[in-house]
Amino acid sequence: MKRRAAIALVLLALAAPAVRAQERHGRPWQELTPEEQWRAWENYQRYQQLPEQRQKNLERRYQQFRDMPPQERQRLRQNYDTYRGLPPRQRQEFIDKYHRWKGRK
Amino acid sequence: MRCQRARKWMTAAVDGELAPRRRRALDAHLAACAACRRELAVTERMLTALEGLPMEAAVSARLEQATLRRVRLAAADEAERAPASRWTRWLPLPAFALATAAVLVLAIGIVRRTGQVPGAPAVRPAPKLDARGVAQAPPSLLRPPRRFAKLPTEPPAKLAEAPDLFVDMSIIRNLDKLTHFEAIQTTTLDDEPATPDGLEPPSNG
Repeated sequence: MKRRAAIALVLLALAAPAVRAQERHGRPWQELTPEEQWRAWENYQRYQQLPEQRQKNLERRYQQFRDMPPQERQRLRQNYDTYRGLPPRQRQEFIDKYHRWKGRK
Repeated sequence: MRCQRARKWMTAAVDGELAPRRRRALDAHLAACAACRRELAVTERMLTALEGLPMEAAVSARLEQATLRRVRLAAADEAERAPASRWTRWLPLPAFALATAAVLVLAIGIVRRTGQVPGAPAVRPAPKLDARGVAQAPPSLLRPPRRFAKLPTEPPAKLAEAPDLFVDMSIIRNLDKLTHFEAIQTTTLDDEPATPDGLEPPSNG
């Protein structure tokens, strides 16, 4: 019994870093669908064109996003879908509102 | 502040990434500089348009074929209009096309009998000739779509390390907007008149 518990503890200890890495960085490349791989590849090329400061900002925000609870991430995804679905005029209005909101903060 | 610096900060300002102090400095400059206001409006429009672009364009195979055919026909017309070299000027186009086709058929016959051409990486089927004798691209060049052909077999280290960063990059870029989405939507623009750039009007006092 003690031996089994020890083995389980060792396995847990070995698996923990991998789990933490997945929590920090998300899924491995092989687990993405071809569509996601394609999107990631295109965005990676855009990312490479960005100045270093903006790359760092994105990485910082990505960590913020990863650290959010799953429900919050889901809420953001829904908001993004809503935002993408806005007609151009409404989207512009939203951006104007954002600047106004940001100025008041 | 000089215009050069203001323009450097504009993209960050549009993304809401500019620190409040810099934002105020930029706003002060914009209030006095019409050229930079125009530049900001253009940047905003461009970024909005970029965000509005679909991640991919779905084009049916039929439309793709039809478009490629039109391009080939237009290219053939252009070639016909271009001044021909001395020896091809006297050579009628159909005869030239037939001769090319005959050479291709002969070459393929030889390749099929003897196997693969030494040194050649792969044997492609002979290109089909359309009614005008213009070679059509074989289907293997059209499918799979180019976008899949561009994908690397091994992702670069940065991409392999955190692929989700790049999958969700649009969300991450707009993290601030999306986090406070509801609050932003309920913000009113009516109480304080804004300039067409979405900026505060310059104060006169």
